[in-house]
Amino acid sequence: MRILTAASRRGIELPYVQAEPAEQSHQVTLLLEVNAKQVGQLSRDWYAIVDVTDVRSAMPTQDMLELIDGWAATPHPPTSAVSSGDSARAAMA
Amino acid sequence: MLRGADIVLRCLRAEGVDLVFGYPGGAIMPLYDALEGSGVRHILTRHEQGAVFAAEGYARATGKVGVAMATSGPGATNLVTGIADAKMDSVPLVCITGQVRSSLIGTDAFQETDVFGLTLSLTKWSRLVRSIEEIPEVIAQAFHWARSGRPGPVMIDLPVDLLKATMEFKGPVKFHPHPKAADAKAEVFTDTLIALLQQAKKPVALVGAGAKLSGAVSELRSLLDCLQIPTFATVHGLGAVKQEAPYYLGMVGMHGTRAANMALHETDLLLVFGARLDDRVTGDPTRFAPDARIVHFEIDPSQLDRVRPCELAVIGDLAETIPAFHEELSRAPLPKWDAWRAIAGGQDRAELDAAGLAQPTKRFLDELFRRLPADSVIVADVGQHQMWAAQRYRSSTPRGFITSGGLGAMGFALPAAVGVQLAKPETTVLCVSGDGGFQMNIQELATVHRLGLAIKIVIVDNKYLGMVRQWQQLFYKRNYAETDLSDNPDFVEIGKAYKIHAQPLAEEALTEFPLSAETADVLDRFLKSSEPELLVFECAPEANVFPMVPAGAALSEMMLEED
Repeated sequence: MRILTAASRRGIELPYVQAEPAEQSHQVTLLLEVNAKQVGQLSRDWYAIVDVTDVRSAMPTQDMLELIDGWAATPHPPTSAVSSGDSARAAMA
Repeated sequence: MLRGADIVLRCLRAEGVDLVFGYPGGAIMPLYDALEGSGVRHILTRHEQGAVFAAEGYARATGKVGVAMATSGPGATNLVTGIADAKMDSVPLVCITGQVRSSLIGTDAFQETDVFGLTLSLTKWSRLVRSIEEIPEVIAQAFHWARSGRPGPVMIDLPVDLLKATMEFKGPVKFHPHPKAADAKAEVFTDTLIALLQQAKKPVALVGAGAKLSGAVSELRSLLDCLQIPTFATVHGLGAVKQEAPYYLGMVGMHGTRAANMALHETDLLLVFGARLDDRVTGDPTRFAPDARIVHFEIDPSQLDRVRPCELAVIGDLAETIPAFHEELSRAPLPKWDAWRAIAGGQDRAELDAAGLAQPTKRFLDELFRRLPADSVIVADVGQHQMWAAQRYRSSTPRGFITSGGLGAMGFALPAAVGVQLAKPETTVLCVSGDGGFQMNIQELATVHRLGLAIKIVIVDNKYLGMVRQWQQLFYKRNYAETDLSDNPDFVEIGKAYKIHAQPLAEEALTEFPLSAETADVLDRFLKSSEPELLVFECAPEANVFPMVPAGAALSEMMLEED
C-alpha cells in the first residue's frame, strides 16, 4: 500500500498495478506516466519503504500497453448483489 | 497461558520500555487492565494528541523510542497529527491502538476507524494484528523499524479480542530484516570529496538533525574543527555545533541569520550533514545556492536530490561516514579558507539587533536563556515565539532545543515538555509557547499538575496568531482575517484553576536598562522553583520576526527589518 501512496500523493494515476508472489516475497508492477525527476523520486521513496528490497524501472512492454487499452473499452459499472445467508452470518460473527 | 494484553506489555518491557503515554477507551481496555504490575508506567494525558506529543518529547530528549497508546476510532484519529509530526522530524515512535474485535472490522462498528489505512503514508511501518501468535514478532518488528536507519513512527493496531485471548507465551522474539538489494557498506568516495574541497573557494557546512540522531555530534564537531569552514544549522540542527566555534554562523533558512543565509547563497561547495533541505531552508529552490556543488551526507536515500541533483551522495549512518571522511582528510592538503570565513562571518553581516534591545521579546528570551543551566531543554511550540527562541538559542546541548519543525504542529510544546521532563527529571525544562498554540493542548496543565512536574511554562501572549498575522501584514495588506485573539482567557487565572502558580510579566519590564531588580527576581524565582510555573509574557501585538525570507524568494533576498 505504501508503494501506491507514494504515487498517489503526487497525483500520478495508476492505470495498471499487478502484484504477484516472487519466491519468498512479492513483486509489484506498476504502469505510470512519469518524467525523469519523478522516476528518481519514486524510486527513492519506494526504496525507503522498509518492506521493499529492490526497485527497478523500465519502459512498459507492448503487452502491458495493449492490456490497458482493452480495459479502457470495458466499463465496470457498480452492480447490485445479494449475498447468501452464510456470508452475511460470517460477517457478523 | 497469558492474555494478549500481558504479552504486549512483556514485549514492551523486552524492548526497554518502562514509560508509555496514553488515554484509555473501550477497545484498549484489556491492555489497561494488564498494566498494574507489568513494569510499564502509564502516563495519563488529557487528550490522545497530548499523549503522542508527550511520547515524542520523551523520544526527542533521549533518542529512545517513545510509546503512545489510545483506543480505537477517535482515540486513534487523535494520534494522527503526532504521527505525522514524528514522520517529518524523524522521531522514533511506536503507537499502539485498540481496534474493534476482529469479526467486526470493516462493518463500521462503534468507534471503528481504519487507522491502518489512515496512517499508511505517515508511518514507516504499520500492522493490523490478525492473530495473538503474531504479537511478539509484530512488536519486535515495530521497535526495529522505529529506531533503525532514519527513525520514524510505526503503528500497531490491536483488535480487542486478541488482547483478551490467551496463548502459551514463549518469550519475546528478535526481528531480523531481509537485506535490501543495494545494501552495502557505506562508501564515502573520499578522493572525490577531497578533490571537491581542494577546488572550492567558498565551502560551507549545513548541519541538520541527522548528526544528533546518529549520535555523531562529537565526530561532526571534530570534523568541523578540522575544516574550519563557515557552518550553520537548521532548526533541528541547533545545538549540534559548538556555539563558540569561530566558524559558526547560527541558524539558516526563512528566519535564519543574515550571515548564514548569505554564505549559503554564495557558496560554491555545500556539505550537507543530515538535513532534508526542505523549503524553509532553501527558499526558492530554483535559486538555492546557485553556484554550489552539493555533497550530501544522508542516511535516507529518499531525501537526496529533492532540490536539485547533488554532486556526491554519501549514503549511510553519519556516525560511520563522518569519521571515515575525517580520517582520510588528515592525509590530504587542503586550502585555507580564512579570507572566505572572515567575509562570511564579517561585521557587515552581523545581526542588526544582536542584544535584542529593539525587541523586548528577544531580550526576554535572552534573559531567560542565559539563566538556564547548560544542560537545560527548551521546548518551543510553533509560531513567532518558536522562531524568536530558535534565533536566541545559544546552547551547545545537542538535544537541548526541541520543536515541531517539519510539520509545524501548534499545541506541541506543552505535552512534549511533559515527556521531556519525565525523561529528564533533574533537568530544567522550559516550555515556550504562544497564546494560540497553548490553547490547543491547554488541558495538559492537568497532567503537569497531577505529576508535579517542575516545567517552566512561558506564554508569549501577543493576542494574535502572530506568525499568520505577520504574513497578513507583510503580504496580505494588513488584512488580519481571523487571527485576532484579543478575547483570550486570563491565562494567569487558567493556571491557578489548574493549581499551577502563574504570574504575568509586562513587556515594559524588559525595556528597562539595566533590568530592574524586581524583574530579575521574577525571572530567577520562575526558573529556580521546584514546582510547575506559568509566566505570561505580554508581548506587543504587532511584533514581527526578522530576518525573514519571504515565500518564493531566494535566501539572499531576506527582509532584515520592516520597511
